[in-house]
Amino acid sequence: MITSKKISSKIGIYSLLIAGVILSIGPFYWMLVGSTLPSGEIFHIPPKLLPGDHLAKNFQSLNESLGIAKIFWNSLFIALVYTFTCTLISAMAGYAFAKFHFKGKNLFFFIILCTLMIPSQVTLIPLFEMMVSFNWLNTYQAIILPSLASPFAIYLMRQNMKAVPDSIIEASRVDGAGELRIFFTIILPVVRPALAAVSIFLFMSQWNSLIWPLITLNSKEMFTLPVALSSLIGMARIDYGQVMLGTTLSTIPIMLFFLLLQKHFISGILGGSVKE
Amino acid sequence: MKKYMSIMIAILLLLLAACSNNTAGDQGKTGDAKHPSGTITVWGWDVAASTMKAAVEKFQKQYPDVKVKVEDFNSGDLYEKLTVGLAARGSGLPDVVLMEDERIPGYVHQFPTGFLPLNKLGYDKYKDSFNPAKVATVQNKDGDFIAAPWDIGPAGVFYRVDYFKKANVDPNSIKTWDDYIAAGKKIKEATGAKLLPIDIPNYDGVFQMMMQQQGLSYFDKDGKLALQSKEAIRAMEVIKKLHDADLVLNNKGWDGIVTATVNGSVATVPYGVWYAGSIMDQAPDLKGKWDVFFLPSFEEGGSRFANVGGSSLLIPSTSKNQSAAYAFVEFFTTDKDSQLLGFEKYGLFPSLKETYSAPQFTANSEYFNNSPIFKKFADIVDQVPQINVNENLAKASSIMSNAQAAILLENKSVESALRDAQKQLENELKK
Repeated sequence: MITSKKISSKIGIYSLLIAGVILSIGPFYWMLVGSTLPSGEIFHIPPKLLPGDHLAKNFQSLNESLGIAKIFWNSLFIALVYTFTCTLISAMAGYAFAKFHFKGKNLFFFIILCTLMIPSQVTLIPLFEMMVSFNWLNTYQAIILPSLASPFAIYLMRQNMKAVPDSIIEASRVDGAGELRIFFTIILPVVRPALAAVSIFLFMSQWNSLIWPLITLNSKEMFTLPVALSSLIGMARIDYGQVMLGTTLSTIPIMLFFLLLQKHFISGILGGSVKE
Repeated sequence: MKKYMSIMIAILLLLLAACSNNTAGDQGKTGDAKHPSGTITVWGWDVAASTMKAAVEKFQKQYPDVKVKVEDFNSGDLYEKLTVGLAARGSGLPDVVLMEDERIPGYVHQFPTGFLPLNKLGYDKYKDSFNPAKVATVQNKDGDFIAAPWDIGPAGVFYRVDYFKKANVDPNSIKTWDDYIAAGKKIKEATGAKLLPIDIPNYDGVFQMMMQQQGLSYFDKDGKLALQSKEAIRAMEVIKKLHDADLVLNNKGWDGIVTATVNGSVATVPYGVWYAGSIMDQAPDLKGKWDVFFLPSFEEGGSRFANVGGSSLLIPSTSKNQSAAYAFVEFFTTDKDSQLLGFEKYGLFPSLKETYSAPQFTANSEYFNNSPIFKKFADIVDQVPQINVNENLAKASSIMSNAQAAILLENKSVESALRDAQKQLENELKK
């Protein structure tokens, strides 16, 4: 009795789980299959579930219309430089806000938090005019620099830095370590999970960002992946095979980046759940 | 601490310098109106951008000192960039920009000084070279050219030859919308396919075509709202009849129309002539199975013509090289070869009248059942009624789409839905 009940409840759970898997993997799988089909076949009824033989051709035409290597490099360069610099800046700022005492500290922090509430649309046009007057249109720095100080990342780093006991810092000072040394060799290793979380977050947001790069970049050689993919959607003609393949390719680095930092990231999520 | 800070700042500045590559080229150099020179930038989208790129070669034979850089975005992205640039007082804009005709009044309304009137530069001498309905859409109220006319989209009904044969329906017998509905019922019985795709809550294109064939947009010639006119009511009633007979495939967006075209779930697609290119592109297997007839009319002998889409070229007034920009616009829109190039390769139907006699136009199309589909359209472009286009079309269109959804999906009556739509729109326009 008990076992059959157990089995039936297990069947129920598993079928629910399988449905969940299909729901979440299905679109992704369809994208993968789509990238191997010619444009016309993607909309076939019934939908094709097995990969076709058009992958090489899609890649060739995608490369012809975009120059995929340069686009990938643009995206990667921008995202990595941005992630590295912005993480460093927010870690430093967070550390200062959490552990140092200076005049106007709370006021500054309040102002930074307030900027979280300004919608990005408001700053779009003034920022764009600024880039134009710097003559920075169509350059990497126009994309990297304006968002280098991220209030959200600073806030997140500050909260994590607060959890670091003051006694560690004091002990290192007594031992004669300089402030920079304390920051780089003592503090940063301790907040590694937070660093991982912040950098995944920053990498993803920069990698996927469309509006700002779209507005500041003009020539095809400078496009980032989202802008380039968006340019594939024509007025009346869309090669869906190319779009599917481009989208597939663009998800790979995010997955890699996430897998690479996943261990730290998940321990970071759990980090706050248990109090000693 | 101070020392370290300054080191960090220095590193940052270095980083900055390292990734800055100066793009300022010879853009500062410009010539005069007779001998334009320098570099101009042109914004366009997909096939239109390709056409302009291809036309540069011939352009440079006439103007060897002008370099043309064509930059290609998707149209939505282009509008986004254009709006930001215009809002930022014209900074970062190109010298020439492509725009869909229906967008022109809105942009001119929002940014009255944003674009150069072309009359001043002498464009009005081409007034009679183009399709008159097109000329009306690119001129402002005073008859000034705001944009240089390029392509148009005379509307027709693309249909599946094999479905019509199977259902034993003669496409030539379809003269009125009632004939169309009757044919649709027969075809559905014989093949199971619905008659046409409409994205009910989001797209009122069929209604727009029906209005234009009766000489109206959402507005009449005097700019008064025409949503409660008898023309609007009978147009909506036809759409309701189509839906009641279960002949409408409610498919989402552009992708939905393409999907239905490829997989055979509809027998006809009423659309602009440029859709021919998409059909050939997306459904190469259906060669010989598509053809086209004109829109049905409301009464026997009534007008069967309308226009869907089309685009034109504008010169932002902040262009630093207006003489070269004008030279390009003038050359490109009035050069027969360039126009035919875009037509032949990409299906962009020119509004320049002298192109219509070219062999590319009069030839039979193998894909389209060996019929001369483009000649059919070229013969009627002059009969497309001129309508009132203004800056409120986008608003009106979205309100009409909502009304369409209320009528078809929520069973609201045609009269009351149109009355509410008209009231709502009146309110919005007052703001």
